[in-house]
Amino acid sequence: MTRPGEPNEPGDRDRPVETDARVETDGPVARTHGGGGNVSLVARREYSERVRSRAFVFSTLLLAGLAVVVALLPLMVRLVDRASVTRVAVTAVEPGLAERAVSVMDGFLNARLAANGEGGDTIFAFQPMDDAGRAVAAVREGSVAATMVLTRTASGGIDAQVLSAGALGPDRAQLLQVGTFAVGVLDWTASQPATTRPFVIPTFAVVDAAAGGSGSGGAVATVDAAEYASRRIVGIVFVMLSFLTLVFYGLWVASGVVAEKANRVMELLISAATAPQLVVGKIAGIGLAGLTQVALVLAPAVLTLMASDRIADAVLGTATGPGSSLAALSPGLLGAFLVYFVLGFALYAALYAGAGSLLSRAEDLQIVALPLSIPAIAGYLPAVLALSGGTSPFIRFASYVPLWSPFVMMARLSAGNVQPWELALSVGLLAATVPLVTWLAIRVFRAGVLLYGQPPTVRTFVRAVRHG
Amino acid sequence: MSLVVDHLFKRFGSVVALDDLAFEVAPGQVFGFLGANGAGKTTTMRIALGVLEPDAGRVTWRGTDSHRLPRSTWGYLPEERGLYPRMRVLDQLVFFGGLHGVPAERAKREAMAWLRRFRAEDLAGRKAEQLSKGNQQKVQFIAAVLHDPQVLLMDEPFTGLDPVNVMLLREAFLELRDRGRTVVFSTHQMEVAEALCESVAIVDRGRMVIGGRLRDVKRATGRRLVRISVADDHRLPWLAAIPGTRVIQVGMDRSSIELDAGVEPETVLAAAVAAGVRVVHFEIADPSLEQVFIDHVGHPLDEELHLAPVDDAGVPVAGGVA
Repeated sequence: MTRPGEPNEPGDRDRPVETDARVETDGPVARTHGGGGNVSLVARREYSERVRSRAFVFSTLLLAGLAVVVALLPLMVRLVDRASVTRVAVTAVEPGLAERAVSVMDGFLNARLAANGEGGDTIFAFQPMDDAGRAVAAVREGSVAATMVLTRTASGGIDAQVLSAGALGPDRAQLLQVGTFAVGVLDWTASQPATTRPFVIPTFAVVDAAAGGSGSGGAVATVDAAEYASRRIVGIVFVMLSFLTLVFYGLWVASGVVAEKANRVMELLISAATAPQLVVGKIAGIGLAGLTQVALVLAPAVLTLMASDRIADAVLGTATGPGSSLAALSPGLLGAFLVYFVLGFALYAALYAGAGSLLSRAEDLQIVALPLSIPAIAGYLPAVLALSGGTSPFIRFASYVPLWSPFVMMARLSAGNVQPWELALSVGLLAATVPLVTWLAIRVFRAGVLLYGQPPTVRTFVRAVRHG
Repeated sequence: MSLVVDHLFKRFGSVVALDDLAFEVAPGQVFGFLGANGAGKTTTMRIALGVLEPDAGRVTWRGTDSHRLPRSTWGYLPEERGLYPRMRVLDQLVFFGGLHGVPAERAKREAMAWLRRFRAEDLAGRKAEQLSKGNQQKVQFIAAVLHDPQVLLMDEPFTGLDPVNVMLLREAFLELRDRGRTVVFSTHQMEVAEALCESVAIVDRGRMVIGGRLRDVKRATGRRLVRISVADDHRLPWLAAIPGTRVIQVGMDRSSIELDAGVEPETVLAAAVAAGVRVVHFEIADPSLEQVFIDHVGHPLDEELHLAPVDDAGVPVAGGVA
């Protein structure tokens, strides 16, 4: 009798023919092979199966489209914003300064746009106010978008503090800065003999009126409105993408395990590879598919953001100034996203893999899908709150909890104001939880994959952990 | 130096799956593992593979505990067949070979060679979901033997196969044995076991009933079988006079008579001659494996394949094999 492969491999020396020799020579080799080799084999199979699936292609296209829309949002806001009128109150202690500034800025800013051939719409409505207190109150009430407080500095220059409660867009703020510059120039040429003092560029700052304080003190946090908007957009993209991908791919891990059980290929798998190899390989393969999708989704969005200034120039004309929507997308933030995504995915995927192994049929997937998505949703809500700059004790707590930190801490990082120790604690807890949960999942998996027809109850789970 | 199933115990909740099960398989043999559903055959195989943990006892191969053996020692064909439905046959075989440490190139060569042996080369590029059951079975068999394992554990390999594929699989078994591999397969089809096995183990409800070389197992019952051909009345009416005999197969050509322990075959021949029958052929043989099973377990192996007896009210009587 000939062996099946023999005619084709006369020189195949690495394959012992003698039965007894194989145990000695091949055995230990095959044993050491088992670990990483099988993990990567399983991972590669999962990866290629997922990436080629229709669900992957369609969801990538859909999400990439959504991300581009989100990336274009600031541009659209600018486009819409162009047509609206921003009311600005101007107040100054020095008599006449407020009125002079109003006439300069009104003429300069509104006329300048008209000269640009854009129809000469009035985009600023300036209103001098003598009472500084009333002007500040007007911002808080929302009757004006901003109040500009002009102060004469010691050197004779002008300091402009713009109080805003969020109603002043980044582009309008920039225009105001340009206007302030014009006020400074005219103030220097008109009120002083040119030789008495050199021209000083007016200082300009946007102050968040909602942050409290009198609005003119140096202690008030100065928020760059443009960066603030950018941080929110970047944060929304990261949190949404993490949430969707973790839940979606987690469910994919579970359904993959259930499918292997349902079509009984699992028996063959579990006899060829160990439970840890299968679980880790599956998580790695599907996780890499998820990361691939995130990259494919983010790339066009980032390109759009980078190109948005040029698009703005083409659509809105050159006068609108830089949008700088990418200001918040620092390499550090991207790195944090990667860390949280990988760890968060491993955590969720391990949970889903364990849960999936307890099911017998694809229909049962719904039973675990909802309970497993609840922790993710519960983490998504504080993340949205954190995006708007909230730092309540609950949000801070949620940003340390391993199941939630991938969303909440990412949101907090995007919004800023995270202490280094908080980040270390959050990542540390997450990194410590992942192997623990993976170990648990492997135990459940080992017992679960051979159980058929048992309802996925808490009791089944506990039994699986104890005997796995 | 053999495959030793060393006093295994295993319970699943309140169900006792294995109760001190012990037997040995000599290397290079085809070994039949016989028993009804629920006898513990699959559990034993899973313990050997290291997929399940026994409550007590162990399985060794050539003196090494199964836990310390590489998984590629075993080639496993599960009872429940399964492949990735949307993966191409060749890709699956390379994948499973890879899990056992066979490099992709060699796995591809071996897979194609085996497919050729099974006259199924054209399956290589097809997806598993497009295959007939018999062809899926072939692919799974190849997946189990691709890495050239020392021991093949085949759980009900012949169930659901058409006669042609049964023949192909039997030939493959014998070929693997001739190459020095040890083939253990479970079955509830006694004829297959009788035709293929050198040794058998009969298990019932997790306990060893009897095991050893096929001939010894048969002889141990004390029963014997007489095959007789007669020239005239093949219904053998004269046999009724001899106690402890039973016709198990009537044929124009040849009839088989089973003798209880203590009944001498010569009595049958003498009775035939006394009745004036012309005996054309007379042969003394061992009892069928089926009879051996009934003798030891108390009911036929395939009892569950038949309807349970009906009680007076016409309601099926509860009973049969658990």
